[in-house]
Amino acid sequence: MNVRIGYLYPDLMNIYGDHGNVLTLVRRCRWRGIAVDVDELKPGDPVLPGRHDIFFMGGGQDREQVMVARDLIEVKGEAINREIEDGAAALVICGGYQLFGRFYRPFDGEELPGIGVFDAYTVAGRKRCIGNVVAKSALGGKAGLVVGFENHSGKTYLGQGCTPLGMVTVGCGNNAEDRTEGAVHLGAVGTYLHGSLLPKNPGVADFLIERALSRRGHLLPLRQLDDTIELRARQAAIARAKKTH
Amino acid sequence: MNIAARSVLAFGKSVGAATRVFKLGGGSTLPGRIARRLYPGFVPSMVRELPLGCALVTGTNGKTTTSTLLASVLDGAGITPVHNRTGANLMAGIASALIRESDLSGKLAARIGLFEVDEAALPAAIRETSPRLVLVNNLFRDQLDRYGELDTLAGRMREGIEGMDGGATVALNADDPLVASIGDGLEQKVVYYGIQSERYASDTMQHAADSKHCTACGAPLAYEYYLFGHMGKYRCPECGRARPEPDIAAVDLEMLGMEGTRCTISYPGGSVRLRVPLPGLYNVYNVLAATAAGLALGVEPETVFAAVESFTAAFGRVERVDAGDHQLLMILAKNPAGFNEVIRTLSTQPGRKDVLLALNDNIADGRDVSWIWDADFEMFTGRLHNVTCSGIRGWDMALRVKYSELGEASLAVETDLERALDASLEKVASGGTLYVVPTYTAMLDLRAVLVGRGLVTPFWEG
Ligand SMILES: [Zn+2]
Repeated sequence: MNVRIGYLYPDLMNIYGDHGNVLTLVRRCRWRGIAVDVDELKPGDPVLPGRHDIFFMGGGQDREQVMVARDLIEVKGEAINREIEDGAAALVICGGYQLFGRFYRPFDGEELPGIGVFDAYTVAGRKRCIGNVVAKSALGGKAGLVVGFENHSGKTYLGQGCTPLGMVTVGCGNNAEDRTEGAVHLGAVGTYLHGSLLPKNPGVADFLIERALSRRGHLLPLRQLDDTIELRARQAAIARAKKTH
Repeated sequence: MNIAARSVLAFGKSVGAATRVFKLGGGSTLPGRIARRLYPGFVPSMVRELPLGCALVTGTNGKTTTSTLLASVLDGAGITPVHNRTGANLMAGIASALIRESDLSGKLAARIGLFEVDEAALPAAIRETSPRLVLVNNLFRDQLDRYGELDTLAGRMREGIEGMDGGATVALNADDPLVASIGDGLEQKVVYYGIQSERYASDTMQHAADSKHCTACGAPLAYEYYLFGHMGKYRCPECGRARPEPDIAAVDLEMLGMEGTRCTISYPGGSVRLRVPLPGLYNVYNVLAATAAGLALGVEPETVFAAVESFTAAFGRVERVDAGDHQLLMILAKNPAGFNEVIRTLSTQPGRKDVLLALNDNIADGRDVSWIWDADFEMFTGRLHNVTCSGIRGWDMALRVKYSELGEASLAVETDLERALDASLEKVASGGTLYVVPTYTAMLDLRAVLVGRGLVTPFWEG
């Protein structure tokens, strides 16, 4: 068994500990005896058919985001859509999440087109949403919760073609209006939560790994790991989220 | 000094005394906060009384160490500054220092002001203190939850600096591309400092690195080498914008682990071989920064270097404490770059270490603890004996340690800081050292425990 991760723009999109998400996927595969490779996909690099089982993209600053948007449209977007329709998994955070939607509309200047994996769009907001987030989610393991930290001013609105990752109980989420947080379409997960997200949300990590393996024809359930520290860290984050809001 | 300022001053002094009597803390910001609210012109009217003017020190890492170093340089030159020495680096902290160091008529014993300033507070500090020198040491991604983006922050700092008197001096780190770019085309005099040595360089950037694009044209920068985070020798392949030649440079470096670094510092008119008595390359930058500032303020080179060589660390940044049979070495780490340098320095020393990592997420630490995933914990592999994780987010720290797979090291979690300190001290062999690496408020709390046990003195008496 093996899994190949396509790490999109690691030099440009890696704010707020995004690296920890890739590290978590790698470790949780290896702890189960599943071999993992990570390919870095930089500007100009093509996305080859069937090569990557999980795509990952983090957040970035404005300037980086504009460079990445151009490369996604010109080089990778079509192929990424095709791979996801074909069963590949993806996790995209914050700026990466916005670029996987249909477009980003700033206050002034040109609309930044996204690649439309998610039926969602983002508009610039006046207020910055910063803080711990707790959301009810089907990918949240036994407790049914995902936790993380959000820091964004963009407001994202979901269309009919995707479902939210969860419904916030603490924090802003997608737009601070409809309580939705993130988006899920097939094996692709988009979210504003960093933290890093995956270490404290092993349910989401294992969802991505399972999708990746099933695309390769392995339908066995994943072996359970000892997640004591993961769950204690999550409890601490939830307690902190309630206290600091 | 006008009547408004004087009456506010008297009131502020009584607030400061009350906070100390009632143990509300060091009284380091409350008096100033009240004074500025009662009279917004308080700081400008006070600093006008300083015949030698003011100097401001800012940057993500090393503000306190650099400004404390510079304070001893000025001390050595016979011009002891009024200085916000406890890390109270917003305007209220500056105002409080002015209240504390003056008598009731508003007379300051000091002739010069030296203030460490939070990066985001720099424009306001420049407006209120009209400094003759501003020093920017580095810009790392630190608590972006407060500041927004680094580029935006640098732009605001630059606007503030452009508004300074044309005769003022700006001292900048040449090795940090974003900081160096602040000096482009300034009317004020610009002094650059940097490390001129490849000995400890690497050809890859650490995860924590931040500044990767040319500020002039946006192209990715090409680095000849990296020294510490994104510090290094860089050049833009598109427009040719390159690292400025430093006026003050450290050459021939020899790192001596926790004992510091030996190097030669060259400056306009000479050079000197000395030992930087603080560990890590980041402290070489702090020493270069204090040297550049001291020389720019007119202190004789011999006085500057004598002060540097005899320096002992600023409270809490690196602090050695004798705890009975053990030694405790406390090193503040509040962001990935600082943490990486601590790891690198510990790793240059032989033997496996006992370490206590304390992670808090109070406002002063940054609410967002995601930065621990940008620190290169993997450099610890094979170098640790026991790791204890503590603090409000001690379990997050333990998770980071788990995913870095530190092999044989044993991992324990005790979120209560005092219990964690005792538990980790117990595991240290007799005569051994416990390395304590806390975030800011965890450091304050641990220090309070040590004060309670009579092992160190409270910082406002220090
Ligand atoms: Zn350029």
